Amino acid sequence: MSDIILSVENVIMDFGGFRAVGGDHGLSFNVKRGGLLGLIGPNGAGKSTTFNLISGVLKPTKGRVAMDSVELSTLKAAEIAGHGLGRTFQTPRAFPSLSVIDNVMVGADHPEEGPIAALLGRWRAADAVLREKAEHALERVGLADRMNNPVANLSGGELRMLEIARQLNRNPRLLLLDEPTAGVDPSLQLKLAEILAQLHAEGTTLIVVEHNLAFLLDLADSIVVLQNGALLAEGDPDSIRRDPAVISAYLGADHET
Amino acid sequence: MTIYSLILATLTFGAMFSVLTLSLNLQYARGGMINFGTVAYFAAGAYAYAIFTQEPPSGLDQYLFGFDMPWYVGFLAAGVASLLFALLTGWPTLRLRGEYLALTTFAFAEVFHSVLLNERRIGNGSVGLSNVERPDPTTLGIDDTLGYAFAAMALMLVTAFVFNRLLKSPFGRAIDAVHDDEMAAQAVGKDDARIRLQVFIISAIPIGFAGALYAMITTLVAPSMFTAQVTFFVWIALVLAGEKTIIGAILGAMALVLFQEVVKGFPFETVRAAQLASSGEEIVTGILFILVLRLRPWEKLAKRGSA
Repeated sequence: MSDIILSVENVIMDFGGFRAVGGDHGLSFNVKRGGLLGLIGPNGAGKSTTFNLISGVLKPTKGRVAMDSVELSTLKAAEIAGHGLGRTFQTPRAFPSLSVIDNVMVGADHPEEGPIAALLGRWRAADAVLREKAEHALERVGLADRMNNPVANLSGGELRMLEIARQLNRNPRLLLLDEPTAGVDPSLQLKLAEILAQLHAEGTTLIVVEHNLAFLLDLADSIVVLQNGALLAEGDPDSIRRDPAVISAYLGADHET
Repeated sequence: MTIYSLILATLTFGAMFSVLTLSLNLQYARGGMINFGTVAYFAAGAYAYAIFTQEPPSGLDQYLFGFDMPWYVGFLAAGVASLLFALLTGWPTLRLRGEYLALTTFAFAEVFHSVLLNERRIGNGSVGLSNVERPDPTTLGIDDTLGYAFAAMALMLVTAFVFNRLLKSPFGRAIDAVHDDEMAAQAVGKDDARIRLQVFIISAIPIGFAGALYAMITTLVAPSMFTAQVTFFVWIALVLAGEKTIIGAILGAMALVLFQEVVKGFPFETVRAAQLASSGEEIVTGILFILVLRLRPWEKLAKRGSA
């Protein structure tokens, strides 16, 4: 198995006449298996669009995205998820008709999810196993006591943790997190850092978009910096901190971390 | 009309239309799909039943097929016909959303109605197929009308039971997820297109069975029985008692049918009075519909209940 899990190759995304991702030559970068890659850049740099291109929400105008040598650009978003890719969204997305625990359980690949299994009542055993797993995921993000609440009762930060619990329940090989700390209070941020470090240690590959650099630069083992949809810099956190181009475009001259 | 026959007629037709509102409840309240072509699936079931059970054409008959099969074969054929029609209409249209889907399904139903009317080789065109074969409840020692009231209620209960079982399972969870947020559902591997099509097809099957039952009760199928009015009738019934719950779907259909039967059965002295009452009935139904939409009493009640 190659040590590259995801490769983005010369990807260009045009919306009408506007080039959201790709710059002049297309965006290319690789993600190391088991790594934690930070994806940073100013607002509008194309970070979320890049996530959407990887997860299949958008199809690139040009170029290809491949995960473990399977080309993702031709697959549907649901198929890509089935291939072992998980993601969260910049604005947390919950299913309001479902309770907190069901929001997590729906994330699992249920072996008996079809209508026939439903009619025959064949799903119960598999469901009980998945419920335990979902409870464990909720415990990890600190929402275990809210398990049976409707999601309408959760705060913005809690919704973010719920989304992460849903992905934990899926055990993705590659997990994309879009601004996981936004709207999350400091104590939950600590918990989140702990979860990410744990996932990293367990071998899950992570790509994290984040504006909270103190949080990200501590965790990440490599960083990709985007500006206007193009690659501005790539490297380990220390070299990125010192990169003059990154400082002037994104970090600011008086940046200290 | 006696109270007894009023109750019996309400239960028969109320239960039969409940099957349609239950199916719409699944399609719309849970699946998020607006199907304004309901009547077409109902007609597909009724015609399939008639075609499978009637004798081969003779004399002045213009229809081509009559298979002279027993009623239960016709009944199954009705479910299959509705399923196939749902597959045929659902597959190309379910990518559409909201009012676009509503318009397309409506158009499909109009086209189907027009085909039934003009293609005489299916069911004699506007004349329709009369003397439709039906099982005779009196062989079981049950009065004919009572027998069909039982049959309609059985079909309603089985439909409610099956849908409830579907919705309470992981399949129901996936349906809700796709309805709530397609993109987030896709991100956890739910194939929204497949799930929507499954819901559309599954909910069409009982509509086909109800169509067969309608053909048995009236012993007639003709295009004039399957106009857009049926679609609007069941939609109004669904919304009247709250479209979100199974019990609401049933109560709405029962109430609307009862109201119609009362007007129909009232011993008017003159023809003019009966005419006034029948147009008045539609006006009252319309006003009720607007009031329910405007005041949203069931949502308020549900909110108060949960608060």
